Amino acid sequence: MSTKSGRKITKSTKYTKYKKVFFVSFVYFVTFVVSFVSFQAQAPPKRIISLVPNVTEILFAIGAGPQVVAVSTYDVEPPEVRSLPTVGALIDPDTERIISLRPDLVVTYGSQADLQAQLTRASIPFFDYRHGGLDHIMVTMRALGARTGHVDQAETVARGLQAGIDAVKNRVAGKPRPRTLLVFGREPGSLRNVYASAGRGFLHDMLVVAGGEDVLNDIDKESAQVSTEMILARKPDVILELNSASRLNEADLKAVVDPWMTLSSVPAVRNKRVIILNGPGLTVPGPRVLDGIQKMADALHP
Amino acid sequence: MCALLWADNVSFRYAAGAPLVVDGVTVRLTDGALAGILGPNGSGKTTLLRLLSGTRRPTSGRVLLGERPLDQLSRREAARQIAVVPQETELAFEYRAIEIVLMGRHPHLGVFTVEGPDDIRIAQEALASTGTSHLAERMFHELSGGEKQRIVIAAALAQSADLLLLDEPTASLDLGYQLEISSLLLRLNQEQGVTMAISTHDLNLAASICRELILVRDGRVLAAGPTADVLTPENVMLLYDVEADVRINSETGHVTVVPVRLAAPKRIREGGRISRSSSGSGR
Amino acid sequence: MSIRRRIVTVVAAFAALAIAVMIWAPTVGSTPISLARAFDRSIPWDDNVDAQIFFVARLPRVLAGGLVGATLAAAGVVLQALLRNPLATPFTLGVSAGASLGAMLAVTMRLEMTVLGITSIPLASFAGSLVATAIVYALASSQRRGLSTNVLLLAGVTLNAFFSALILFVQYLADFAEALRAIRWMMGGLDVASYFPIVAALPFVLISFVAFAMMTRTLNLLSVGTEAAAARGVEIVRAQRLAFMSASLATGAAVSLGGPIGFIGIIVPHLVRLIVGSDHRIVLPASALFGAAFLVLCDLAARTLMSPIEIPVGVVTALIGGPFFLWLLVKRS
Repeated sequence: MSTKSGRKITKSTKYTKYKKVFFVSFVYFVTFVVSFVSFQAQAPPKRIISLVPNVTEILFAIGAGPQVVAVSTYDVEPPEVRSLPTVGALIDPDTERIISLRPDLVVTYGSQADLQAQLTRASIPFFDYRHGGLDHIMVTMRALGARTGHVDQAETVARGLQAGIDAVKNRVAGKPRPRTLLVFGREPGSLRNVYASAGRGFLHDMLVVAGGEDVLNDIDKESAQVSTEMILARKPDVILELNSASRLNEADLKAVVDPWMTLSSVPAVRNKRVIILNGPGLTVPGPRVLDGIQKMADALHP
Repeated sequence: MCALLWADNVSFRYAAGAPLVVDGVTVRLTDGALAGILGPNGSGKTTLLRLLSGTRRPTSGRVLLGERPLDQLSRREAARQIAVVPQETELAFEYRAIEIVLMGRHPHLGVFTVEGPDDIRIAQEALASTGTSHLAERMFHELSGGEKQRIVIAAALAQSADLLLLDEPTASLDLGYQLEISSLLLRLNQEQGVTMAISTHDLNLAASICRELILVRDGRVLAAGPTADVLTPENVMLLYDVEADVRINSETGHVTVVPVRLAAPKRIREGGRISRSSSGSGR
Repeated sequence: MSIRRRIVTVVAAFAALAIAVMIWAPTVGSTPISLARAFDRSIPWDDNVDAQIFFVARLPRVLAGGLVGATLAAAGVVLQALLRNPLATPFTLGVSAGASLGAMLAVTMRLEMTVLGITSIPLASFAGSLVATAIVYALASSQRRGLSTNVLLLAGVTLNAFFSALILFVQYLADFAEALRAIRWMMGGLDVASYFPIVAALPFVLISFVAFAMMTRTLNLLSVGTEAAAARGVEIVRAQRLAFMSASLATGAAVSLGGPIGFIGIIVPHLVRLIVGSDHRIVLPASALFGAAFLVLCDLAARTLMSPIEIPVGVVTALIGGPFFLWLLVKRS
């Protein structure tokens, strides 16, 4: 090797070495960046907005409460949400406000297609919630657990709720199921516009778990308006009326039950089994639903 | 002869601050008179007729029916003595001709009274007077223009009133019907002694049957008196801004007016107000 | 005499129809019952399901239907004569919109008071109807000329639009259940299950009907034109005022009892006029009677056609009303 070529070889070897180092570092750098970015994309959301009150309750129950930054106008439980900003609800979601709060997950109703389209355009992921039966509550809990990074806690809560439900089922197993009219709305002071459960939906599921038989089973709808004639004809053994008042004193209770007294041939009226179940959270498909189921079971099978 | 109906210097405006539609008009109708109130559209003829029938109260001046002020009578009492044939009859629903005529009996019936045999007889006589007995059971809206007008006149006759006020009775009628109606009116006046005042813008109609005329323009009386005296080329010019040939027709013996040419529109300055004839029928 | 006889005969025929329908209707329904049992006094009331179905579920419903149907039909006739327009309805002048707004507010504010045995929704809706009537009247009256029917129509239409907007607004602010209840009320419902609301509405309806009876011949005259009517002896201002007030009072009572059931006030007068002519002395009572029968039959259809589900009676009348107008349109052209 001549001096000239030796020097040349040394130069090119050094250059190649730098190239190699540079290349490998670059590859490491890119890999690092890509992993970092993708890792971030799969990280649990830190700013959740929930437009669905019962989902809010579930979020707090499974431990995702601290991640919630805003709720709907109708959210009142748990107490922590009362100080959070509100962004509208089912019919009137305030899209601007929602986006301005920079959420990384928005819980929407299945029917809010417009809102979902706008969130997609703003690259904000959303959780599409739809009402379902009683089982759907547990499904939602687990799905949210996965989505918000609280898988274990969600599992615990879901299992606990299931256990509670199963306990009630066991308690009423084997007992005769009273034919029940489950009323969730009517004109105050009269029997007009009575709305009752009609064989489907999660209120119906609650009734079934609590050991009752829906007297309007055959209609197979989530709710139906019942006429006076139908109530008389179906002769329910028990009338359960859901009332959202948090407290009902004796006078109020009597006033609520009174209009039913005209239907004195109905077994529920004759045997004084017109029962008012009151309380704000009774029928919210969330963690408190067990309370409602237990109250129903107590009423049906004292 | 005392006046059956006397409008004494009456004026009328439809709302406060609005211009006077009738301005200081005096009309005297004696028993058995056949008077014409003549003027262009918008001269206040219809309003004047309303003041004469009592359906409107004059803003100033008074209207006397016989001895009594008209505004002291109830509508029912007034309607028993004064009948009106309106310019148009637009029915909201479909009535038979006889039902329309029987409506004229209203001022003679109590609240719960139903028309008795007398009322029906009077209605039938009214139909006979107007030559429309055969139309009694026909639907009013299916009748021809002339037939409708005769039915409406029959309804006014059924009121058994001494006085008949007619607002443009031949306005939308063909020549044949015009002749029919005008001869009918003349006959009613001459044979049954019905006192009449006819408001019209049709000069020749007025000239052919009315014995006296009241010329009205812009709510004011231009001239009043026997037809031949009042209907002069000068008055026609003042009334219509038209040069006309006014002469007595040898066939009929009536005054006839034939327009010859338009004159320059007259502007009558009265106390700073410029009056021009306006289009549209009188309010 | 023949006019009087004609009036009596025709009205008697309609009365027979109405009575027959109202006697038959409570015997029919989605549940088969035994009339023998229902009327059997020896069975204690608390055990007699058939009797309770007949006397608590069906009979009040039929009576309410008769009252509301008669009232809306008669009020329709009066308003059509007053406004000289066969397309006028008892709801044209905003009374029903006022009633609906009242009911809506009662639902969303969750009013739960009972005055003299009348519950909050009928009470609020009646109050709303009175307010609407007062507003329209005030807008349409002037000291000199009394009631101008053109202004009346405009005021009524304006109030309708305004109150409807308010109703939408209130619905929007309400929560889901309340909004649903409110919408449901607006479809009409006769399932009163008690005689009391009927008795409560009765005085207002009776007063109005007395006024209507006094006005029948006047309505004939009014429908030909106000000037002509005045010249024939009608006190126009008084007649129009009476017609408007009584029709509005009657409509308010009817809507408070059964909700704003549409089309009765226009279908029935139309049909009756086709049969008996336009003399209001026959049309008014005949429409009331036919209206009673018509609404009771519509309610019968509503509670039996899709049993066990009930169709709101206002939906049934609307489903009949649409094709009816189509037929009218075709017939005219």
